[in-house]
Amino acid sequence: MDRRTFLIRSGGAVGSLILVGCGNNSGSGSVQQPAATGEAAKAAEGKTRVVFWSSWSATSGEALQKLADEFNASQKEIFIDNQYQGTYEETAQKLATALAARQVPDMASLSEVTWNKFFLNNSLQDMTGYFTETKLDPKDYVESLIGEGTKDGKIWWVPFARSTPLFYYNRDMFKKAGLPDRGPKTWDELREWGKDLMGKGGAKKVFAYTNAKNYNAWHFQANVWQWGGAYSDKDFNILIDEGGAVEAGEWLRKFVHQDKMGYMADDQSIDFGNGLAATTQQSTGSLGGIVETAKFEVGTAMLPEQEKFGCPTGGAGLGILASAPDERKRAAFEFIRFLAKPENAASWAKTTGYMPVTKSARESKEMQAYFKENPNYQVAVEQLPKTQPQDTARLLIPNGDQTIGTGLERILVNNTPAQEAFKNVAKQLEDDAKEVKESA
Amino acid sequence: MDVTADEARSRPRGVQETQSRWAGLGSVMQYVLLLLTALVFIVPLFWMATASLKGLQEIYTFPPVWIPTQPKWENYPNAWNAAPFTRFYINTLITTFFGVGLEIVNAALTAYALVFLRFPGKNLIFIVLLAALMIPVQVTILPNYLTIAALGWLNTYQGIILPGASVAFTAFLLRQHFLTLPTALLEAARLEGAGHLQLLWRIVLPLSRPVLVTGILISVVAKWNDFLWPLIVTNRLNMRVLPIGLSYLFDREGNNQWGIIMAATIFVVMPIVILFIWAQRHIISGLIAGATKG
Repeated sequence: MDRRTFLIRSGGAVGSLILVGCGNNSGSGSVQQPAATGEAAKAAEGKTRVVFWSSWSATSGEALQKLADEFNASQKEIFIDNQYQGTYEETAQKLATALAARQVPDMASLSEVTWNKFFLNNSLQDMTGYFTETKLDPKDYVESLIGEGTKDGKIWWVPFARSTPLFYYNRDMFKKAGLPDRGPKTWDELREWGKDLMGKGGAKKVFAYTNAKNYNAWHFQANVWQWGGAYSDKDFNILIDEGGAVEAGEWLRKFVHQDKMGYMADDQSIDFGNGLAATTQQSTGSLGGIVETAKFEVGTAMLPEQEKFGCPTGGAGLGILASAPDERKRAAFEFIRFLAKPENAASWAKTTGYMPVTKSARESKEMQAYFKENPNYQVAVEQLPKTQPQDTARLLIPNGDQTIGTGLERILVNNTPAQEAFKNVAKQLEDDAKEVKESA
Repeated sequence: MDVTADEARSRPRGVQETQSRWAGLGSVMQYVLLLLTALVFIVPLFWMATASLKGLQEIYTFPPVWIPTQPKWENYPNAWNAAPFTRFYINTLITTFFGVGLEIVNAALTAYALVFLRFPGKNLIFIVLLAALMIPVQVTILPNYLTIAALGWLNTYQGIILPGASVAFTAFLLRQHFLTLPTALLEAARLEGAGHLQLLWRIVLPLSRPVLVTGILISVVAKWNDFLWPLIVTNRLNMRVLPIGLSYLFDREGNNQWGIIMAATIFVVMPIVILFIWAQRHIISGLIAGATKG
């Protein structure tokens, strides 16, 4: 093992542990459930106890616990033991460790990035049969979301807390600039509006991009598709240094360095909220925070198009661990079914700001009433069916997100031609993809 | 650099004056540098303290508001009630107290043996100890977890504490200091009939107070702040420690109530800050003692 491979294997604690976890196929042998202690042990007495490792804290954590409590009170057979285990990455790391130690939960929340690793590792349960048995219709879920967790016609990962990028604009500035009260149809239209926004509108800049740390590669994924390109294809062929991806990068470079309309913000929410930039792109999950802190009327719109529309999904879903005994796996699925009920999916979406993941929740009276009160949120939900899962380069290649993000920073800050910046990125991605290809 | 009287006398007066002017300027520069360095450390703490009394809009606003216009004292009770912080406090006190105690006892015994005892393979053991210094924590997490899980100690205090009970760095730190102690003193005590433990307790440790305090402080900070290991080895809310408690306040999508998070951070770091202020005189007196000795 040379130094580089060693660094890759050990560098991110998550990465190394997941690789170690991969060595242990968890399909067979004696696997224990983490022991119950304290109050949970009492409450679970005489019931099937399902250990659920989740990643939500603060308001979302309380909302999830409330749903678990309601589920536990609604019937007498199953007890959901909801245990918070840190961020998505920390939860994944714990799960990998637990798989190696054979003390495994029955259900876990896994992000769009981490779930793939456990799927490749054969740690996840195929849920297709449970859907049929319990007559839960997979088609009730938004296609692009359930589709992401479906491989070879089987469902491995069910959408739960999903978000997407959204276009935000300062309605007060748009008014002052004499622009219509809507988002731009295309990026070129935004550039045309730019002069008015920076002139009459009083904006310092037209659009705030962000840095690698704030996931600019997630946001730029949309741009790449909008220009007809891709980061990579399903077989890990890297496409970021050709076609639409490079054109999107060049457009961005000129917008920033020639037109002086775009720039890289440390945190685009803060700059937008303070009126430095007239528009920005940020997660739907940030809507509540932006509206709370902004000193003006916030407007939202679907992402601008260029050659076509493009918008990635983000966030997390739920997986059931294959190693759990059948009884507990079915019990865990009962909880997934409970969460999919329109009233529950709607209340979860309303409290947390995540997207309603089922069509029935979207159509529910509760949600429709909420849309009327929050038209900005409705825009995000309307955009949802048009979204698609991200390219493999960002999801599956180790450190792919940061590799692409750093390349973008070179364009945004150093005015490096997109072709040159992305050529380096592509080389790095190809190197890092080798490992995944071998283990996949 | 010493300047002899003759040399000084032979210099024209003007040179002397510019020199003292330069010296004055130098000390001004020195103070400016000191001030800047102090600011680098103080501003984040100041920001944390003031932000803990602000609402979200006041935190996010630009240009920044340094003093909260309407202090939101309710951030503190809100933070304390957002997660079971009383329980987290008790847990952290237990794991830190016993963790530090075990680590220091262990390190003192190891260092004593490495310096004052003669046994075969001593150098080899020291080299292995040095090698252990270079292993990143992440590498040890999985083997430690497997051991603790096999012992059935997940979700227990001993599970959190024991893997941190032997830390190579602390033993190394104490060893380096023990080497500088005058052997004559130990010889004398030994002639009086003192055993090894007596020597360690009565002579070696009292003479090593500054280093010991430093070692304890480093250990306290490490244990108090430890996040990853306690997170991995515990599953349940009632076994969680303060740093994990802070993470309960964070929103996955970045909609964080920073005022509340800062308030919680204040009461999480406060004991450490107080401990530092109390303990620093021991470290400083130790440093001075070392200087005069040299």
